[in-house]
Amino acid sequence: MKINTEKEQTMEGKQNTEGMKEKKGMTASEYITGLLRDISKEPQIKNGKNGELYIPLPEKEFQETVPVLDREEFILLGLFCVQDFEGENEEKGENEEGGEKGENEENEEKGGKGGKGEKDKAEAPAFTLFYAFRKRGFSEVFVFLHPVKTEASSIAKTFPSACWYEREIRDGFGLDFPDAFDKRRLFLHEAYPEGFHPLLKSFENGKIRTIENPQENYPFKRLEGEGVYQIPVGPVHAGIIEPGHFRFSVIGEPIFNLEIRMFYKHRGIEKLAEGKPPAACLPIAEAISGDESAANSVAFCTAVEKLAGLRVPERAEYLRAVLLELERIHSHLGDLAGMATDVGFPRITSPFLILREEIFRQNDVLTGSRFLKGAVDIGGMKQDIPDKLLEKLASYLENFEGRFEKAFRTAMSSSSLIDRFSTSGVIKKKLITPLNLTGPIARASGAAYDVRTTHPYGIYGKIPPERKVLSTGDVLSRFEVKAAEVRASRALIRKLVLEIPAGPVLCPPPVAGIRDGFALSMVEAPRGQTLHWVYVKNGLVDRYKVRTASFCNWKAVEHAVLDNIVPDFPLINKSLNLSYAGTDL
Amino acid sequence: MTPDFPNLSFTLFCLLNTGFVLLVSPFYMSLIKKVKAAAQGRKGPRLLQNYYDLRKLLHREVVYSPTSSGVMRVTPYLNLAVLLLASLFVPVIFIPDAPAGIGNIIVFIYLLAIERFFTALCGLDAGSTFGGMGSSRAMSLSAVIEPTMVISFAALAYVLKTVDLHEMFAITSASAIPVSPTLVLVSISLFIIIIVETGRLPVDNPATHLELTMINEAMILEQSGKNLALIELTHSVKQTLLMAVLINILVPVGLSGGPNMGDLAVSGLLVSGLAFLVKAALLAVVIGLFESSLSKMRLFRLPVFYMMAFFFSALTILMEVFA
Repeated sequence: MKINTEKEQTMEGKQNTEGMKEKKGMTASEYITGLLRDISKEPQIKNGKNGELYIPLPEKEFQETVPVLDREEFILLGLFCVQDFEGENEEKGENEEGGEKGENEENEEKGGKGGKGEKDKAEAPAFTLFYAFRKRGFSEVFVFLHPVKTEASSIAKTFPSACWYEREIRDGFGLDFPDAFDKRRLFLHEAYPEGFHPLLKSFENGKIRTIENPQENYPFKRLEGEGVYQIPVGPVHAGIIEPGHFRFSVIGEPIFNLEIRMFYKHRGIEKLAEGKPPAACLPIAEAISGDESAANSVAFCTAVEKLAGLRVPERAEYLRAVLLELERIHSHLGDLAGMATDVGFPRITSPFLILREEIFRQNDVLTGSRFLKGAVDIGGMKQDIPDKLLEKLASYLENFEGRFEKAFRTAMSSSSLIDRFSTSGVIKKKLITPLNLTGPIARASGAAYDVRTTHPYGIYGKIPPERKVLSTGDVLSRFEVKAAEVRASRALIRKLVLEIPAGPVLCPPPVAGIRDGFALSMVEAPRGQTLHWVYVKNGLVDRYKVRTASFCNWKAVEHAVLDNIVPDFPLINKSLNLSYAGTDL
Repeated sequence: MTPDFPNLSFTLFCLLNTGFVLLVSPFYMSLIKKVKAAAQGRKGPRLLQNYYDLRKLLHREVVYSPTSSGVMRVTPYLNLAVLLLASLFVPVIFIPDAPAGIGNIIVFIYLLAIERFFTALCGLDAGSTFGGMGSSRAMSLSAVIEPTMVISFAALAYVLKTVDLHEMFAITSASAIPVSPTLVLVSISLFIIIIVETGRLPVDNPATHLELTMINEAMILEQSGKNLALIELTHSVKQTLLMAVLINILVPVGLSGGPNMGDLAVSGLLVSGLAFLVKAALLAVVIGLFESSLSKMRLFRLPVFYMMAFFFSALTILMEVFA
């Protein structure tokens, strides 16, 4: 595992050059060992099934590690809790069969000591917190395992994006973070009774007794002063959109604070997956966010395939990429149209919507689902897509190109549209790392990060996509980046169709069923980095954690609207196009 | 010379003009929607859709917010009454012998202001978030549009040397070459006033569902049923009247009679009515195309748009002074 040759150059120069030099030729494992040398004499780094590294950290070492990670500019990708995590002691031997992981042996020496598992089990802490980080220059994800009992220390002051995760964990598991600065509930609203923690293993899925008329109100941040007033908007909106509450604090029209409240549509997806065989969880993964079903199903399947050691046939990898890029195209087309609608310019909107509808129809022809549901399967694809259809898709995309360019030119030649887009809703580059903003909105603010090139999966290692990075961070640059990504996806699909090999699309299922284990996978969904972590115990999913890009990106809207005026909010929000369902599982 | 009361011509005018305006107004709302839809490649609503909508709303129950007062209950009727009164100021078929004062342009401006004032009160009355926001926006913008309107109509009065709309129309329809360069200039101002007063793009987006961006629509969000129907009707009457002012100044062709018309032929009235219908339809198409050609402006840039109207009117006055 060599250093990834990721060109994560920022628009304002390469501030990491120094750090890069120092790490040259160092593997991720060596790097983290070196980093933790002062804290822990011998960090027991384990290699995960999908290239990620697991580093166990007891409480004391954890406290010392957090500032180091902060100093080294680690980026928090996710934080989740697992109850009764047992690791994968039993199958250590089996893992080597595949021989895919070159470092397994080394790893064995360090981590997999035979008796350790059993000794720990007796007094095992109830919960294990998983902190997933990435570091510029490495394609591997660093996952720190932190065993805790009833409370844990908060890292939200150091890594601001941890705030929502910690609140989520408190709601789900009842695990307390005594030093957290925000202890409000997150996904459990006032109607849920005290002591209700649905993600505990002791909690049975069933009917919930909610509080009829909750007396408590959610404490929004109060800002007072002369002429300050608050505008509550939502969760019910005038349009047909998902529910979310926006609390603006304004003086006249300019917004000086926005607080969002989500989680009005909690479906208990993570709990629903528990106790089911992995194959039964695939439809659940597809339902996480309606318009990101391909991304989520590929992410889920990749995790399961990695932990089970399944090798996806090459043709299936190509087909998956075709679907992922189609999904990106229709998602971005919807955004481009939506941005024009929100400035009251439906004449610009229409051509984009027409193209989007045509892509939906292509989806339908290829997979039988306009939203690409039911196409991906664990181990490959449910069905092959005949070459003839792929060629038709390619020739359609030929025709698509000219019309798309015409629509884009019309938009960009309207001075009134440009006037509305430029300088609106700027997301500053310095927010990207602390909030882990990803996807087109981060690329419009100067971050070159893309999961497809930084942590390649599937076919993207071989056929990387083109990237467009702009630095302004306003609505206009998001409009341009999304348009550029539509072009890039179109070009990529055509390339994939040209090069696709013949062959099977589904690898035979493992004879003994899917092995136990856990793996983390990441996919670049249209909205950005999506993270799935699957833990299979005794052949059943024991814990399924999903973090879509929207979960992190929602925080961006609170910053993007500052100093803008209230009537510009819908445009800014649309330009970010965040998923409510994807945030609230 | 003040005509005697009651005079037949004026009574007929009251019935005919007001009835006609009331009847045709919803049509132009639908027509503009249709034009905008066509510009987007959609089919759009039927041309009579607004009539169906009004009928539907008239049968619906009215729901009042518990915090609302009498203002909410009175405004729909009051506003429609005010606009019907204003319709007497703008002859669309023939010019009657009107009693003094009817036709005064200043009174006309402030009749429209009364309507705006009560709509804004209504927005505040229900106590909802968006109503108050809409009212505050509408009032701050009207502080800018009102002087603009006064200047525009002053320019009109200056060019035609009268403050009476009836007389203005009589002059324009009587002159051999009705369109003078200064009238074209002031027409641009009038066009902008139509756009602003009827809450159209780029000032306000009548088709949006985004509460936070609304101005006019936000004030009437709490209206329902019959009251909403009346408000919608009032709005369309206002649009027709403003359109009629522009049409009768710029292309008065077909407008029957001068102030001394005694015997009006039925066929003449029909031709006049038809002529107005066609001219207004053309103007509605122009408005629809104009709306489709640009996006909504930023709220705080709107005064710039109003200033254009102000500028053209001021220019007209200057030209008239130095001509």
